[in-house]
Amino acid sequence: MNKNILNDKIAKLLLLCAALIFAIGCYDYPIDEDGLMITERAECYVSNFDLLGADFYTVRTKVPDIDTLACTINIEVKYGVDMKNLWPQFTLVTDAKLDPKITGFTDFSDLANPKQYTVVSGNRKVRKTYTVYVSIQKP
Amino acid sequence: MKLHTFLYSTCMLAMILALSCSEAADNPGPEGYENGLKNDCFKRSLGPNVVGIDMNFVYAMALPRQAGKILSAKVEASIPGADGTFLEHRSFYTDASGADIPVIVANPCVTTGAKSEVTFTTDTCAASLRYFYKVPAEAKGKSIEFNFSATASNGQTVNYKLGPYTVSNVDMALDLLATDGDKCYISVADLAVYNATEAAANSAKIDLVYLYRSSIASFAHALVAPAADAGYLPGISLPAGVSNNSPIRRVYQVRDKHLARLQYGVYVDDADFVALDFSGMPNFSLNLMNEYGIFVETQDGKYRAYLYINAVNPGTSNSGIPANSMKISIKRYTVK
Repeated sequence: MNKNILNDKIAKLLLLCAALIFAIGCYDYPIDEDGLMITERAECYVSNFDLLGADFYTVRTKVPDIDTLACTINIEVKYGVDMKNLWPQFTLVTDAKLDPKITGFTDFSDLANPKQYTVVSGNRKVRKTYTVYVSIQKP
Repeated sequence: MKLHTFLYSTCMLAMILALSCSEAADNPGPEGYENGLKNDCFKRSLGPNVVGIDMNFVYAMALPRQAGKILSAKVEASIPGADGTFLEHRSFYTDASGADIPVIVANPCVTTGAKSEVTFTTDTCAASLRYFYKVPAEAKGKSIEFNFSATASNGQTVNYKLGPYTVSNVDMALDLLATDGDKCYISVADLAVYNATEAAANSAKIDLVYLYRSSIASFAHALVAPAADAGYLPGISLPAGVSNNSPIRRVYQVRDKHLARLQYGVYVDDADFVALDFSGMPNFSLNLMNEYGIFVETQDGKYRAYLYINAVNPGTSNSGIPANSMKISIKRYTVK
């Protein structure tokens, strides 16, 4: 008799687990206009930044200074770098995305007007605009 | 159900057996094989066909032992090859360790015009000969075809046509040495490096200046157009008339096999030059090292070239060249 009750309980527990797994499996994250998943993450920052030259190799002289509070990136590039053809490379927190998107080589030659990029969090509710200040190594 | 399965399987087996028997009848085994001279051929060399570079083929011929022996083999090219074109008089086979082993089977090749021929001296019924066709200057931009043929003692002759192969429209110059402050003026039009006096005499053809500056951060070995900002030509007083502006696209690890002569199977071809976009490109490239390269376009737009850096001194390795110098190899494509 007791054995039957135990079996019944185990069966119910298994059924509950299966239902739970099914429910999780069926949960659909919404998709944004870029076809990317909108998640629940609210973190919104740049964790690394680099500039690549025409040969797709880094042109920075040292690790960039990224201030996630002031939302600034200070990077020094080698002397003689072609500033009109640099490919910015951002590393963002999980699920975040960048606006505008990086689509190719970018002109960074106007040092007086630094480029700005906005990081959008995974839940698409937090937006932080970073300013990229580029300086050239002294010859 | 089981009966159906059995019947189906039996039918299928019968069909497979019937097909196998009919195929066997169509392709008789070695004993019934037609007694005749056969041949086959393929191109061994890869990459674009460039003037001055060998195109390499393997021509194989064989007939059954009882049918006779091979007497001669011949190749005729649609355009006579340059000096150094020949058909091997050695037959190669590959041993168990993968090494190519030569065996002399014929007299050395006689090349007359477009024809290269060998006459066999060994009683053999099978051979695999290599043919090296050095692409002549007159073939540039044209197509070449080859007709391989062999004759056997039973009177049979076979032939095998290969091609057409298009010859690249590029010219090459290998291992030019540029030295800082001396022979530092590079002419793409002439595929040459000049000193200041020579540069003044050929001022319209000077596209780049080589210089080495260790005192300036990130400068080191540089290739700079004469028209570049003076900051990129420190200490350089350009010869009279040298003022061309050449856009430069810098690349790394485009180790063209013809220029680098390294193990990498990378080739810069006509299509690469055609596809190049120089808009917005700078007229200088600093801090160049071994295995870097630059694409450059002459000011008049007549030529596009790829300059591969074989070595720099001081470099990281394989310098073997004077101090403050750069060894370059050039592929040049004529645009118009």
